[in-house]
Amino acid sequence: MYIFTLIAFRNLFKNKSRTLILGGVVAGIALVMTVLLSLIQGIQSTMIHNGTALMSGHVNIAGFYKISSSSSSPTVTAFKELLEIAKTEVPEAELIVDRVKAYGRVISEMDSIQVPMWGVNFDQEEKNLRRLELAPIKEYWDESFWRQEKADATSETSLKNGERIEGRWDDLNSRGTLVLFASQARKLKVRVGDMVTLSMPTYRNISNTMDVRVVAVLRDLGLMSQFSLFLHADDAREIYQIKKETTGQIMLFLKDIKSVPLVEERLRKILAQKGYVMMEKEAKPFFLKMERVSGESWTGQKIDITTWEDETSFLKWVVQLLSSMSSILILVLLMIVVLGLMNTLWMSIRERTSEIGTLRAIGLQRRQVFLLFLLESFFLIFGGTLIGALLGFSLVELLNSFQIPLTIETLKVFLMSNTLSFEIGWVQIFQVFIIMLTFLLIGALFPIWQATRLKPVSAIQNVN
Amino acid sequence: MHPIELVNVKKDYLLGNVRVPALKGVSFAIEPGEFTVIAGPSGSGKTTVLNLIGCVDTATEGDVVIASKKTSDLNDRELTSLRLNTLGFIFQSFNLIPVLDVYDNIEFPLLLKKDLTPKQRKERVDYFIERVGLKNHRKHRPSELSGGQRQRVAIARALVTKPQIVLADEPTANLDSKTGQSIIDLMKEINSIDKTTFIFSTHDYSIMNQARRIIQLQDGMILK
Ligand SMILES: Nc1ncnc2c1ncn2[C@@H]1O[C@H](COP(=O)(O)OP(=O)(O)OP(=O)(O)O)[C@@H](O)[C@H]1O
Ligand SMILES: [Mg+2]
Repeated sequence: MYIFTLIAFRNLFKNKSRTLILGGVVAGIALVMTVLLSLIQGIQSTMIHNGTALMSGHVNIAGFYKISSSSSSPTVTAFKELLEIAKTEVPEAELIVDRVKAYGRVISEMDSIQVPMWGVNFDQEEKNLRRLELAPIKEYWDESFWRQEKADATSETSLKNGERIEGRWDDLNSRGTLVLFASQARKLKVRVGDMVTLSMPTYRNISNTMDVRVVAVLRDLGLMSQFSLFLHADDAREIYQIKKETTGQIMLFLKDIKSVPLVEERLRKILAQKGYVMMEKEAKPFFLKMERVSGESWTGQKIDITTWEDETSFLKWVVQLLSSMSSILILVLLMIVVLGLMNTLWMSIRERTSEIGTLRAIGLQRRQVFLLFLLESFFLIFGGTLIGALLGFSLVELLNSFQIPLTIETLKVFLMSNTLSFEIGWVQIFQVFIIMLTFLLIGALFPIWQATRLKPVSAIQNVN
Repeated sequence: MHPIELVNVKKDYLLGNVRVPALKGVSFAIEPGEFTVIAGPSGSGKTTVLNLIGCVDTATEGDVVIASKKTSDLNDRELTSLRLNTLGFIFQSFNLIPVLDVYDNIEFPLLLKKDLTPKQRKERVDYFIERVGLKNHRKHRPSELSGGQRQRVAIARALVTKPQIVLADEPTANLDSKTGQSIIDLMKEINSIDKTTFIFSTHDYSIMNQARRIIQLQDGMILK
């Protein structure tokens, strides 16, 4: 075995330029693959990170309440009891909060938007919400916006990283306040201090309204920021005229996201035991369940246990789209390098026909010829992949450290982040190795098999 | 049945669509320990005969018997291990493994055979390196050796497994006459000490005359 390894290595070394070219191509593709895989992982992580701050806990106790068989509201009545159960039964949780769900129109003097909203208790989930950064003023406000300047609209500003920002998260502790995203502020042409009107259709087909003041504007998070803004939980209750004992969902944030399935399972079982009427598991966000629930004939309260994956599943297509585009790209690149590898092997086998024949004449079995060339291909592929993955790793780390801002709006929307962010770990590196080795070794099989079919007599004939 | 025997062997090569008859019915037997020359002009079929005995090629017709086995009854795996265990092959163009040095080239068949301990293996290789006079060239690659030195490496490689039969196709053709003679002397010495059967081809008369037995070929047939 050692001697085969030696021969394989020395042959690679002997054909330096060929080895370097092919190894370089392998490395290049491994690099591209590493970067793409860590980009996808980065987006996925961003989605978890932002998704859980915006619209879902890791696990949620949610559900629907139906006054009549033709209506439904995404609320949980008598939630304090459920909150207690969650606190005692889920020691894995590091934060448990509740939010009221709302959906309606935000109207400014200039424009209006239709958007899902969250009635939050800021003091409960301060740490969670603060993960969402305040936006620099220039990201949503332009002096050219025509507006009659009001006295109360000029709020204090402060500097952060050399960018001027205004407003404070803490003000969401007071009633009559609103926190929205930069893209929403831009559309409405509002800034901190401005008043806007909320208008929510209630189930009686009339709209209730309330005036609120913008107290902070958040940096956009791509697609995700289209689906959220924040107001005081009690304001949301007031608009919908629901009781203090009712909320939208209880959100559990776990210490370790890996325990999600366990916690989900346990809550389902315990709540069912305690006599709650449970909904069937359905991997959809709540707003896609509403219509169906409205059509069902039951009345009263049903509890639904959902996870962050369910609630953000409507954004999954972004990751899927990106994955399939990357897959196609990687596949095409792999095809090219497989063809290159096969060609190189054919050349090398043709050149070494006499050597192979000699080895066979001395007494090398077919499977040993196979092993010899397989080793040679393996070292080349493995070495190339190693170099490519290392370079990819360094590149990704480097790009991450620069926090490269995404300047193209579409990219921001799809990557759901303001900066290009990659995430690389052993999983990605491992994937790169597995994919490269499987594809390329399979590609190498045919030429190598042909080498094993060479007749030993070719050792003599080829020379003469 | 003799340990080595050709019985009415015919061999045709296909050159495109044309059949080239290289051997037209050759029969002879060789006894263990013989030192035999296959002689004949260019194109007479010497290489073809040696390839058949060396189990690297197969006859079109007739039987080739090596180590008392009909080679046509053996599959590729069995033929390969016959080559490894019973035969040693010395090629006209040396055919060393270019990326291995002298020592590794000679050791290679022993590594395939796996019947010696590392220590025995080293002793055996050292013995043959000494024997072919390449003590000072153990670390040289084939490209760093002269033709005669390469041929001596090839001889050591063929002998290192102590095969029963050693085949050599014009082992001196690429060497000057002095070097050629020393190679023949070496082969004769090993033949008389180890009782190894030697069969080699040549068209050099001075070498032919040193053999105990000459099989004369012409146009694919044996001249009586
Ligand atoms: N691979 C082949 N394809 C076609 N014809 C071949 C092939 N090998 C040998 N021949 C033909 O078979 C005949 C015998 O060839 P062989 O090589 O055995 O002769 P030789 O006695 O070894 O000649 P030389 O002294 O030149 O080496 C020749 O006519 C040769 O042209
Ligand atoms: Mg010949």
